[in-house]
Amino acid sequence: MEWFNEIYVFVAKVFQNLGIGFGEVFKLQSVTLWGYTLNNLPFNIIMCLIGVMLGTLIGVLPGIGPVATIAMLLPVTFTLSPVAALIMLAGIYYGAQYGGSTTAILVNLPGESSSVVTCLDGYQMARRGRAGPALAVAGIGSFFAGCVATLIVAMFAPPLAEVALKFGPSEYFSLMVLGLVSAVVLAHGSLIKAISMVLLGLLLGLVGTDVNSGVLRFAFGISEMADGIGFVTVAMGMFGIAEIIANLEQKEHREVFTSKVGSLWPTKEDWRRMIAPILRGTALGSALGILPGGGALLASFGAYTLEKKISKYSHEFGKGAIEGVAAPESANNAGAQTSFIPLLTLGIPSNAVMALMIGAMMIQGIAPGPQVMNERPQLFWGMIASMWVGNLMLIVLNLPLIGMWIKLLTVPYRILYPSILVFMSVGVFSISNQPFDCFLMALFGLLGYICVKLECEPAPLILGFILGPLMEENLRRAMLLSRGDPMVFLQKPISAAFIIVSVILLVIIALPALRKKREEAFAGEEAG
Amino acid sequence: MQIKNPKDFWAGLMFIGFGAAFVVIAAGTPDFINRMFGDKLIPGYQIGSAVRMGPAYFPIVLGGLLALLGVVIFLRSFVSSITGAAAAVKLPFTILDLIAAVAVFVVATFVAKMLGISNDYAMLGSALVLSVLAIVFRPETKALVLILASSLAFAYLLKPLGLAIAAIAVVFISAYGGHEFKWKEVTILAIVLVIFSVLVFVKGLTLPFPVCPDFVESCPIR
Repeated sequence: MEWFNEIYVFVAKVFQNLGIGFGEVFKLQSVTLWGYTLNNLPFNIIMCLIGVMLGTLIGVLPGIGPVATIAMLLPVTFTLSPVAALIMLAGIYYGAQYGGSTTAILVNLPGESSSVVTCLDGYQMARRGRAGPALAVAGIGSFFAGCVATLIVAMFAPPLAEVALKFGPSEYFSLMVLGLVSAVVLAHGSLIKAISMVLLGLLLGLVGTDVNSGVLRFAFGISEMADGIGFVTVAMGMFGIAEIIANLEQKEHREVFTSKVGSLWPTKEDWRRMIAPILRGTALGSALGILPGGGALLASFGAYTLEKKISKYSHEFGKGAIEGVAAPESANNAGAQTSFIPLLTLGIPSNAVMALMIGAMMIQGIAPGPQVMNERPQLFWGMIASMWVGNLMLIVLNLPLIGMWIKLLTVPYRILYPSILVFMSVGVFSISNQPFDCFLMALFGLLGYICVKLECEPAPLILGFILGPLMEENLRRAMLLSRGDPMVFLQKPISAAFIIVSVILLVIIALPALRKKREEAFAGEEAG
Repeated sequence: MQIKNPKDFWAGLMFIGFGAAFVVIAAGTPDFINRMFGDKLIPGYQIGSAVRMGPAYFPIVLGGLLALLGVVIFLRSFVSSITGAAAAVKLPFTILDLIAAVAVFVVATFVAKMLGISNDYAMLGSALVLSVLAIVFRPETKALVLILASSLAFAYLLKPLGLAIAAIAVVFISAYGGHEFKWKEVTILAIVLVIFSVLVFVKGLTLPFPVCPDFVESCPIR
């Protein structure tokens, strides 16, 4: 009965921990706003609500994604408690997945890159007058996937953190190499350009005072650069500013297809057909989300392809098959949530949004890593519990509010982008109250714009940027401990495993046959 | 030799440039250049050994790798199978325009130093000059230059003139970079955004931004 006892303890611990989390989420606090003090306010819930609403909003609006939004709000979160800040930022990420699907279905316009595939069948369903069920399926699928993914995070994060606590500098260094390699492998377009962008990011991350020697590196005598380049500044420039410029170059054409949404309730037939795709989408999305470099985008695309291959109704795909909405929508939400696992347990971001979450933790003075779970259980479990609460809010609030979100789509871009610019400028300026940061943001905007034009993805650069100083630090320590012997990375078993997997990944992807397949996959994604 | 893939060509050059720059700044200029100038042009940082890495060690390794990959991408551009429209660089400006833009900033900084005024004016002046140049000579770059200029305007107007005027500047400059510019609409947008920013950022989040210009003695909002 040993195993039974173990399972029992494991399950009981998960519930106990979730209990801590829900306690934190529902905690009543006193908050001072505008000089008034409000007592007994469930502040964390309110921040979660604000996060998911904001997430839905930017998910609905094309031209602004979660990366730019979270970057914009990072300086603002400085005034919040760590729990409230992270709950809100997480809400933006998974809220955006819900919002993105709404516009994909109703307007054939992916508000979020992860809802590109939802357009294929969702819009066709809407054209056949079945917009209501399509939206409902997307919502139900996302909610189910969200619940499962929350449980997965709660179950797998603690054992993983336990393992990660034993990591030394060499294991960490190899893990970061693996993370960066997988981010590169999963990036769009040219492999070698993606690696170059990672290297450039790592180098830019080294700008500023060197912790070991106190030497000011690559600062050109500019005193504002002593603390390094602000991570928010880079993210806002590369994603926010560059995105606005690219959008402005295209002529604005946005046809709002305001069909009657009609009845939301799916038919009996719909229910029968959507269960299996939702389950498969959730499973695949959860798995792909954990991978470094993964997340919502990869999950939705993978789930759609899988479903198309194995579904009985594959001939209906592209003509309004309900499976084609259910699977990717469940997968992107599951992937969005499980991508928090590497962040919470290892302190390693798996995509650009997670890199920003690390930034948010650092602003709050929390060093991301496996120790967070033991040192700040309230923060750790509060964030996980908030995901479940946030998903519930999204489904309860969003379905009735669809009309409002659609109205927002009619707001022209020429109103939106000056507002975004004002908020970004305020956000960047407030980091250190120096005009220099805004100047840097403009500079990175230019760099991001040029990179996009030269087909160099900015996402790997951001990952490299956040990992640069960490990598150097761990490399130095590992080499010091091994007395300068680089073989240490291959002698320690865990570290060796990470390195070997990275090498295998790189070799596999460089093989001509597979490279072709990868290009086809991304080409298909772009065409969709 | 014919460049088959201009995107790779320029991306390669960019990475070589960045990689080399990081290596040179970290390692210092090579001896033969130092001898030419009779002095160390760029001193560089300590390299150290593999056991005790100095501040230059990691950047030199990374920068070297980056430059190497840049060379590969650069060479690939001559044999690439991707050619034609798919490989064409659709940048609205040339490398000369970029150099000219940098020159404007350098000259402005120099002039500001000569006149003994704050460098902030140099930045504002350069942004203004570049915006006018872009509108007159390179209309294709209007969106790009005006968006970048608007964030510079915000940065360097905020402290002397306050949040209200800085935000108005952002709205008008960036809106002018768009496809259509309607005075009435932009004015309303600017007013709404100023009220929103003051309420949320200054009052709500208590960011230490001045709201009114320096010279206004009694600002109604603080």
